[in-house]
Amino acid sequence: MSMFSQNPLMNGPNYSFSETPRVGAPEGAREHRFDPYTDNGGSTLAIAGADFTIMAGDTRTTSGYSINSRFHPKVFKIGGTTADQKDATLVLSVVGFAADGEALKERLDSICKMYRYRHGKPMSVKACAQRLSTILYQKRFFPYYAYAILGGLDEEGKGAVYSYDPVGSYEREQCRAGGAAASLIMPFLDNQVNFKNQFIPGSGEGHALQERERRPLTRQEVEVLVKDAFDGAVERHIEVGDGLQMMVITKEGIEEIILPLKKD
Amino acid sequence: MDHRPQAWGRPRDDIYGAYDGSYLQNSGPKQATQSPVVTGTSVIAIKFADGVVMAADNLASYGSLARFTDVKRLRTFHDNTVIGFGGDVSDMQYLDRLIGEIDIDQEYELEQLPDREAQKSVELMQASNLFTFLRRQMYHQRNEFNPLWNQILVAGFDDEHKPFLASVDLRGTSFTSPSLATGFGAALAQPIMRKYAATDEDAARLTRDQAVDVIKECMKVLFYRDARSLDRYSIAVVTKEGIDLKENEQLEKQSWAFAERIKGYGTQTV
Amino acid sequence: MTSIGTGYDLANSIFSPDGRNFQVEYAVKAVENGGTSIGIRCKDGVVLAVEKIVTSKLLKPGANKRIATVDRHLGVVYSGMVPDGRHFVDRARDESRSWRDTFKTPIPTADLANRMGSYLQAYTLYQSVRPFGITAIVGGFDSELELPVDGEVGSGPSCGAGGKDTSKKHGGPFLYMIEPSGLYWGYYGAATGKGRQAAKAELEKLDLSGEGISLEEAVKEAARIIYVAHDDSKDKEFELEMSWISGADGPTKGKHQEVPKALREEAERLARKAVADEDSDEEEEAKEGEKMEE
Repeated sequence: MSMFSQNPLMNGPNYSFSETPRVGAPEGAREHRFDPYTDNGGSTLAIAGADFTIMAGDTRTTSGYSINSRFHPKVFKIGGTTADQKDATLVLSVVGFAADGEALKERLDSICKMYRYRHGKPMSVKACAQRLSTILYQKRFFPYYAYAILGGLDEEGKGAVYSYDPVGSYEREQCRAGGAAASLIMPFLDNQVNFKNQFIPGSGEGHALQERERRPLTRQEVEVLVKDAFDGAVERHIEVGDGLQMMVITKEGIEEIILPLKKD
Repeated sequence: MDHRPQAWGRPRDDIYGAYDGSYLQNSGPKQATQSPVVTGTSVIAIKFADGVVMAADNLASYGSLARFTDVKRLRTFHDNTVIGFGGDVSDMQYLDRLIGEIDIDQEYELEQLPDREAQKSVELMQASNLFTFLRRQMYHQRNEFNPLWNQILVAGFDDEHKPFLASVDLRGTSFTSPSLATGFGAALAQPIMRKYAATDEDAARLTRDQAVDVIKECMKVLFYRDARSLDRYSIAVVTKEGIDLKENEQLEKQSWAFAERIKGYGTQTV
Repeated sequence: MTSIGTGYDLANSIFSPDGRNFQVEYAVKAVENGGTSIGIRCKDGVVLAVEKIVTSKLLKPGANKRIATVDRHLGVVYSGMVPDGRHFVDRARDESRSWRDTFKTPIPTADLANRMGSYLQAYTLYQSVRPFGITAIVGGFDSELELPVDGEVGSGPSCGAGGKDTSKKHGGPFLYMIEPSGLYWGYYGAATGKGRQAAKAELEKLDLSGEGISLEEAVKEAARIIYVAHDDSKDKEFELEMSWISGADGPTKGKHQEVPKALREEAERLARKAVADEDSDEEEEAKEGEKMEE
């Protein structure tokens, strides 16, 4: 009811469903039902550079306060022709409900593979991004409870990052953090990647202050940034830690880097 | 224009009266497990140099009642895989029969081959393959809102013949680790096991005897602290040579000396 | 053939005036042209064997199996039309699986024989089908252990009411032969196919109903009988395929399995020797006979 307390028409004629009749169950009784979802914690991060993209995620997976595993990757190569994905060109990260994330990854991977067999070339990030949105939206009323980020290089060779909500809404971005520590990492990224709230010293006062000019970051800078972002997240979020998995996508291929994070 | 999306597409109470959602149901309810009935408690397992050790006690509880005290919760598959079940016992039996069918089908395939040598050269279904099957089955049933109310550990070897240990639960959530525990074991046994095998490298340095000792120690802790547990348990060791399964072990060297000093244990003299 | 031209042999499910179903009898003819199959039931298991005529040198030795496993504890061998036999095996596997789905326990050999008998019999009733061109021998070992139930978790009370009666014995080895008419009997020793006459004569010489012979002896006898029943003048080459089933404490641990290569080769060596000895005896007898005439 509190939901509608702001309704100006509360005391006059009103819309429905606040008074939906309950059938069967007596007042106060609550039916216990199976909850198909759970949150397995963890965080992901993606940053697009001028000619590379870095996708990263921690390797911890949790249930409540327990750590299920200290090494459970959530960043995956997608659409390679072999089991080891060594000729893959795309990377997908998923965080949220791990079983849905894994199922989503397997669906997208097999679709990318089919595309490759049929067309004789890998799927572009742009096409794959649209397809991923469609897959998510097809389950609009029983969603994959996963926050996905897709990374690769676009047709011009520039780094591309597409981020999604669980039902398929998506956009291309410069950088994005997802999962448990997204709210911790994202502001850091705004400041460090897009130079938000950075001004040229002495350039004026108030509105006259000039924003620091944006420039593309180098690969080395981004790698350090990612590590710093996760070190910070580990410190402040219990569901993040153990290991850091990074995929660096360049025109030469995809390089995987595993670094340690605090295990506490 | 109504600016609350929640109200869009709904009939107006003032015109149509309160909406009765029961008309949407056109048939009887679909029945599915919504909660477990007879349950087993923790399953624990740890990898070692050339295999995996797994254990679970022989108790099946009905709520807080210790209902069945002779329930074997470790199952074997094809002499190379052990499966440990926590959670609902009837769902475990269903899965056990399902796995039995796969085993028979695999034998039908194998006997087509000319001779033993050819049969031996065929890659048998390994623990990792069976785990993939179970993972998909569990996830599929959760998608149908008809979950199998279990958490399952699978132990054996992977395609590269390295020790394999993985877990899947009623939602299809799956993961692997050098040591694993379900239920209470995740809180009580896992910290002990992680002392001995924090990483796969640590596990690869453990001997079979060490691993068995760790497991036995954990079973003891579980019996002390888990009210739904039993001192009779099953223990299985999977190695390349096969499975050594003992289904009627008794906890040894228990110490209840502390109990005397605690009020509430046994007969009170004061 | 008395049936020809009468019209009563043109359709299944039509009796002739003297009460015969000629289609079934023709099916039996198809069986009589097939390679010899035998089954031996002994005290501690069952042996199945088949004479596999090598119809082409291009066939891979040992491939194209003729004995099939049904469930874990049952074996089937057949003589006659191989595709019909394959379908028989498929159906038997379906039956054993549906039995498991219902009763959560392996199908007893007798029940499988019953169901397969009914299945074959149904193929004598309708215009739209023809009878199976095979005679199948079904061997099995029903577990002697208590309650082999799928998904069973405990072992039940160890004493008192509902406890175990160790004096009762159940399960054991069983052997059945099912003919195209659907007729089936249980046997101590069964033979079918082109060499069945000779094979039956040899089987009758074995003491299978009384003291019995051991499983390993039965393997050797089975090999010898297939060699004896083989007619060199008709088919030159053949392969011997053999399988066996023992109880849980025997060599196959209650499962139906192919006889190990070493044992089969040993059995074949003895069989060849026995056949050769018999031939030379006959020759000597024949020579002696000639001398007597002189």
